[in-house]
Amino acid sequence: MYEAVHAYPDGEATVARHAATAARHGYDGIVVRSRDALDPAGNGGKSPGDRGSIAADRDESPVRDPDALREEYGIDVVDAVEIDADDPTSASGAVGNYRSDRTVVCVVGGDDALNRFAVEQARVDVLVRPTADGGDFNHVLAKAARDNGVRVEFDFGPVLRATGGKRVRALADLRKLREIVGHYDAPYVVSANARSHLELRAPRKLVAVGEAIGFDAEAVREGLRAWGDLVERNRERRSEAFIEPGVRRGRYEEDGC
Amino acid sequence: MKHLPKHLRPRWRYVAVGIETWSDAEIGRRAFQRALWYSAGNLLGDAGSADADLTLLSFAHADGTGEAVVRVRHGHVDDARAAIACVSEVDGEPVGIRVRGISGTVRACEERYMGRATPSSTQRDVAFEGAERSATVRGDACDVRAESGRVGATTFDTE
Repeated sequence: MYEAVHAYPDGEATVARHAATAARHGYDGIVVRSRDALDPAGNGGKSPGDRGSIAADRDESPVRDPDALREEYGIDVVDAVEIDADDPTSASGAVGNYRSDRTVVCVVGGDDALNRFAVEQARVDVLVRPTADGGDFNHVLAKAARDNGVRVEFDFGPVLRATGGKRVRALADLRKLREIVGHYDAPYVVSANARSHLELRAPRKLVAVGEAIGFDAEAVREGLRAWGDLVERNRERRSEAFIEPGVRRGRYEEDGC
Repeated sequence: MKHLPKHLRPRWRYVAVGIETWSDAEIGRRAFQRALWYSAGNLLGDAGSADADLTLLSFAHADGTGEAVVRVRHGHVDDARAAIACVSEVDGEPVGIRVRGISGTVRACEERYMGRATPSSTQRDVAFEGAERSATVRGDACDVRAESGRVGATTFDTE
């Protein structure tokens, strides 16, 4: 099972601290949503353009190389990006920019236009926090998400950390989202949206919380595993042997015909 | 009062909980108990909270790490796990919580899950983001004081 986290400078703990804690909690890997926390994988450790290339030369701290972190803590560390744009036009540009160098691309929802944009783009992997900040989700979006293979996130963060009316509203939104997503069989992921190592919770506890607020235990597990499936699929797509779904370059039987 | 006959006594499970905080945070037993009950009351309601019980039997916390034994009524362990997961801060200090295991007796719980030697913490300066910063290092964990506030790092980050 995988969990998607916000790492320093976006969150309060570095990728390494998240990885160490997640390994103790029994996760198989973490997806790092923060753009500036990791170097993109698959570029030989060097990121194109901006600031990464300077940092890659010296012994850097905090560590930004996913492969080194993977080796040190024994769990998978995945480079992802979360696109938090004001409107669909700028989000679209950002998706185009990051799609080619990040393994997982998420779009932060939270307003109707952005939610709509995210589920209609097959290039987007996950629509995160669709109902935060008064965003809405409906059957049209659920169908589009299913058809385009965009996963919708169930954000357990407010359930775990908010109190009072804010939490009640988050729970009500989660229930609505759950009913719509369940009815249309749209793909989904589950995450606690941890911003520091202290906010990470073990998979079994997320399952227990999910059950307490009306989720099926297996659905929560499935949602945590879904991050892993997504990563595996995208890694395969980014590998050199991949041409298009169903077509790949490789060894074949030479004496067959 | 006379003991209840054995078949009428409540059956308990004892949950061993590992606690992690920032190294300069201090949390007390009463505050932790209050946070537990508060979170159970909010998540499960008064009725569910009374069912689960969640009485703190032992508690220790120092230097950003701690452990506790929580008593839970048999059959409500999953509810209790959810309520424990929802404890996100105690007295305004964020806490990370992990259920280490569950036993049927206090003794088994303590023998099996408690009293793990935690490495002692030291104050020293570490290199972080190209500058020397003061940090509290405990084992692999390393809480750095940066301009933006506290940052959780590891020794792998700073060496």
